[in-house]
Amino acid sequence: MFEFSDEQKMAQTMLRQWCEKELAPQVAKLERGEYPPYELMRKMARTFALDEMVRASFKRLEERAAKGEVAPEREEGESGGFARDPGMSAIVGMELSRHCPGFCLAFGASLGLAGGAIMAKGTLAQKKRWALPILTLEKIGAWGMTEPNAGSDAFGGMRTVARRDGDSYVLHGQKTFITNAPFADTFVVYAKIVEDSATDPRSRPIHTFILEKSDPGLSVSKPMEKMGMHSSPTGEVFLADVRVGRERLLGEKEKDPSREQAREVFHGERTGMAPMCLGIVERCLEDSIKYSKERTTWDKPIAENQLVQEKLARMYMHRENIRNLLFKQLWMVKHGQKQSMAEASACKLYCARATTEVALEAVQIMGGNGYMREYHVEMLMRDAKLLQIGGGTDEIQIVTIARQLLG
Amino acid sequence: MKILVTLKRVPDPEQKVKFKGDAIDFTGVNWVPNQFDEYAVEAALRLTENASAGGAGGAVRDGEVVVVSIGPKEVAQQLRAALAMGADRAILIDGDDGALDAEMVARTLVKLVEQEKPDLLLMGKLAADSENNQVGQLAAGYLHWPQATFAATIQAAEDGKALDVGREVDSGVEIKRVTLPAVVTVDLRIIAPQAIKNGKTAPDHAYPEGPRYASLKGIMAAKKKPITETALATLGIAPSLRVKTTAVTAPPARKAGVKVASVEELVAKLHNEAKVL
Repeated sequence: MFEFSDEQKMAQTMLRQWCEKELAPQVAKLERGEYPPYELMRKMARTFALDEMVRASFKRLEERAAKGEVAPEREEGESGGFARDPGMSAIVGMELSRHCPGFCLAFGASLGLAGGAIMAKGTLAQKKRWALPILTLEKIGAWGMTEPNAGSDAFGGMRTVARRDGDSYVLHGQKTFITNAPFADTFVVYAKIVEDSATDPRSRPIHTFILEKSDPGLSVSKPMEKMGMHSSPTGEVFLADVRVGRERLLGEKEKDPSREQAREVFHGERTGMAPMCLGIVERCLEDSIKYSKERTTWDKPIAENQLVQEKLARMYMHRENIRNLLFKQLWMVKHGQKQSMAEASACKLYCARATTEVALEAVQIMGGNGYMREYHVEMLMRDAKLLQIGGGTDEIQIVTIARQLLG
Repeated sequence: MKILVTLKRVPDPEQKVKFKGDAIDFTGVNWVPNQFDEYAVEAALRLTENASAGGAGGAVRDGEVVVVSIGPKEVAQQLRAALAMGADRAILIDGDDGALDAEMVARTLVKLVEQEKPDLLLMGKLAADSENNQVGQLAAGYLHWPQATFAATIQAAEDGKALDVGREVDSGVEIKRVTLPAVVTVDLRIIAPQAIKNGKTAPDHAYPEGPRYASLKGIMAAKKKPITETALATLGIAPSLRVKTTAVTAPPARKAGVKVASVEELVAKLHNEAKVL
């Protein structure tokens, strides 16, 4: 239960070797924004034949749909390649985050959030047209929920609207802090359907739309400047009366209660963070152990100081806890059980806080060196902070837990 | 072409060696494939595929690669990794490294060659743990097969019946033609992008340097590929060692140096104590 399978371990070894050889040397350039992470993602996909696996999986899906074995619009979880195996996805998240959480974020936002949303709720035609190119890395996806006035209050505060006009929709509004937005080809965005002016704007139904970069009226900002996650381009999306057909409405039906749909993606966004946290924590711990054994003060390695030992022990404790939480999550998925919102929130809350603490302490152990960009933990510390904000702030996780506890 | 490739597991060369009494302490050791053997597996795969014909789906296999290891059951892990890279099947011979010497390993391989009848026995030039560098040469001798050791390049002859093996020697690169069946051991240059030309892959094809990464598809496929388990006794190998390891000890710790106060004292010490002047 608390271990990866032999195949997963083998994939982990391969991915670790690839990251050391291909990703690590590029991190400085990626962080300076000198080149977007997408070419390297494509290289990774080709190396491990991810694209080939996704195509094969799509072919099977189409064959089954043609035989009438699955109702294509309800077929779920068949997202192809490693995404079908949550353990493999976790390994990808861990290994990429050891070297570059920003790279991992950009990868996960495209395949996991944008691709995942289409795979979960799209029709077969939508999956084929928009999800397949994202999962094979031919196209880059962005997933847009947050707005300038709708972060934690994502649904109520959402002002982006979709107005029905005959058989088409006209979208208007603005999204912000959207990963990959400056370079994405495909956008999955959430908008409120305007029924009539009498409906309270806070409670209008929310629906999901698939947009393309070339849609008239859609524009994006330049990459925003951030504290961390520099390898992951973040930007705004502007929708100025973007007119699209019904085929862009995810699922092509309005009747699904879309808040539930979006909540499920929140769920995914939350659970997807544990592997990133584990990758960062393990790297911080390893680097800290190595450093504290090599660095000497008063002719003794600093590892002999109990104050340093306490930090290392706490890091290890967090590492164990995050690992256990992650494996519990994987075990539940494997056995068809679903975490409650409180469970997912508690996991995300603990992992994010622990990761920030561990990364801060790693910098502390390394002192002046830790503060320097040359030492990897400086970047990991800045990157870690996002994990307490993105995918629902710590405070929102706490409220979610309390709501369930108090009924 | 059918190729038999050896793959030994060795303690991670980057780990610190621990000693217990007169022997190496293997507890907690991280076992990794011998690097030169990994190169041999890569070379075997390059020799038996058309890398230019696969399109997006990768190379088209043309030949058979059988990987063999002698060791405990756990070696299956390293064999599985080679299968994930693309080898077709594997043979695991139960054996303990401590009860083997190079000569016994060579005799074992000879028995296996008689069973499998490969066109080529391909090996790493040496194992990174013992660094004996004997098995390939001994096996070729026992088989009466031609051998080419320390291969930096391999080019298949036009008729497919021989290999031109490039070896880096002091005066340059020496090309040896060996008719098949033969024994070839590979050196580190064999994993260069264009080190291997098999007559099928386009001659200008450039591989990424190094052994290939197993793809996810390869890893899943490896689950279904057979690993045949056998034992030395089954192959008719009686245990008899020509070389016995009596003790392994750590090199003595280096003594601290001395500081001298003047050039005169240094010269005097070099002359009187070190006797190098």
